Amino acid sequence: MSKFFTRMGDGFGIYLSEEEIRADIEEGTKDAADRAQIPQLSKEEMDHLYDIVTMPGIVVGVERGQEVVTTSDSGGCKISYHCNIAIDRSTAILIHEKVLGADSLDLGHIDYSYKAVKSVLHDEAAMMELTQLNSVIPVLYGSMPNLGLYTKPDGPVDNWAELLPLGRIDEARAAQEEAVEHAVKDIVYVAEGMYEAGADGMNIDTSGASGDADVLAALKAIEIIKQKFPDLGIEMGMAGEFILGMHGKLEYDGVRLAGLYPHNQVKLAEKAGANIFGAVVNTNSNMSFPWNIARTVTFVKACTEAANIPVHVNVGMGVGGVPMCEVPPVDVVTRADKALIEIGKADGL
Amino acid sequence: MSIEIILIKAREAILECDAKKAVTVAQQALEEGLDPIEVLTNGFSVGIRDIGDLFGRGQVFLPELMMSAQAMKEATVILEAALQAGDIAKKGKMLIGTVQGDVHDIGKGIVVAMIKTQSIEVIDLGRDVPVHTLIEKAMEYNVDIIGTSALLTTTLPEQRKLEDQLRKLGLREKFKTMVGGAPCTQRWADRIGADAYAEDAAQAVTKVIELIGQKN
Repeated sequence: MSKFFTRMGDGFGIYLSEEEIRADIEEGTKDAADRAQIPQLSKEEMDHLYDIVTMPGIVVGVERGQEVVTTSDSGGCKISYHCNIAIDRSTAILIHEKVLGADSLDLGHIDYSYKAVKSVLHDEAAMMELTQLNSVIPVLYGSMPNLGLYTKPDGPVDNWAELLPLGRIDEARAAQEEAVEHAVKDIVYVAEGMYEAGADGMNIDTSGASGDADVLAALKAIEIIKQKFPDLGIEMGMAGEFILGMHGKLEYDGVRLAGLYPHNQVKLAEKAGANIFGAVVNTNSNMSFPWNIARTVTFVKACTEAANIPVHVNVGMGVGGVPMCEVPPVDVVTRADKALIEIGKADGL
Repeated sequence: MSIEIILIKAREAILECDAKKAVTVAQQALEEGLDPIEVLTNGFSVGIRDIGDLFGRGQVFLPELMMSAQAMKEATVILEAALQAGDIAKKGKMLIGTVQGDVHDIGKGIVVAMIKTQSIEVIDLGRDVPVHTLIEKAMEYNVDIIGTSALLTTTLPEQRKLEDQLRKLGLREKFKTMVGGAPCTQRWADRIGADAYAEDAAQAVTKVIELIGQKN
């Protein structure tokens, strides 16, 4: 029986038979459907996915006319720290635009947290202004709410990671609520500066990295930014496929945040005023690429069906069906892209 | 009350994060003359595994997870008191830390909370811990297991460094090693020579108990 080359979720190369690939695709879609209470992929979609996984070329692409746009997270830093080429961020963005054909990019500081960048906002604003003068593509300013930075000893708020294991649940929750207010202030402050510097938009990235309070901070900040600057685009990118309930009781617009999956997350992003939603689905490094991509596409399809704003799926190391390894292999990255666009109906990546 | 009902109630107490109920069930089990180890293993521990699974699916949240860990801890104290000294001696000591260069420790915190419920002493060195510190502290506390967590592909090699360093110092047989973290796999554990790999907190508990069993 012939076998097809594919990979595990950690990038390790493997050969699977048709039967094994089809079984993994079925298990993957079932897992997503079961977790998020959403429909599984249809027989036709699973067949299409099987075709994508087993296509003979190393690199595959979408059918003509199905091309999508790209946004990025901390894109301005990546040539420097992935390729070890010492260039400033503005030049990196120009290379992305003029050499690599990126549709948009975000400028972000290496510390990539709103709390950290507020103290260097004047430098960041100057960099944004310079970039805007030289580039044509939309350039956003990106950072994370990163609520953990507001906890002691780094910040003013009690550390819930220490309080929770001690059973001091109410204090842990109160600390998170306090941190939300600090984060909202910082995100809005940076957005104001970036608006003045000519940014095309803000990327509130990796929202939820510190749990449900982190998401609440992002949503509240988006709401305020949208009211103040209706023309400023806002992308809200997520940290994981479901919102981790570090607090557990926080709500936005009457909806409990903890435990929400992408198809429910996007509705709240819309409500707050986001223009683009960055859906995230985690890769399981112990499972195969067919399993991971089937699962990812199932979540994404439910999300794009529910959304009224564009959904740009996170496709990078450890997310979007892409293996968790330092240099994601092009064979599975292009297959993930094709599957997310053609079956998941992603508006962008 | 039959053993079956006690086991169901023990599991329920954990799932409901109800420490009072857990204590009552543990006391009832002893009054009925049931085997404390069986009640722990097939009742309370099942509840912990189930709640860990629900947490992994976004259906239960961190505060509940912590409260159920506390309920487990209180029940364990009661059941352990009834065990023979020899049984208690089976429990061991574990050192744990997130490797150098990595500051992610939410997952590790959950693993620590769950392992502590099994009356295993856990020395948590926190995050960004260099290999030499892991080894120094493992010697100082005379632990059975060294557990390391890495959330980044760039920090994963620190787990290999620990294995290499232990071999170099002639200490590899003194400790059992366990690895975990999102980019980690059983294949990685095999490749670097770690004794165990755990995918999540519930599996970490099972693996730690197995490793301690192997040491004794």
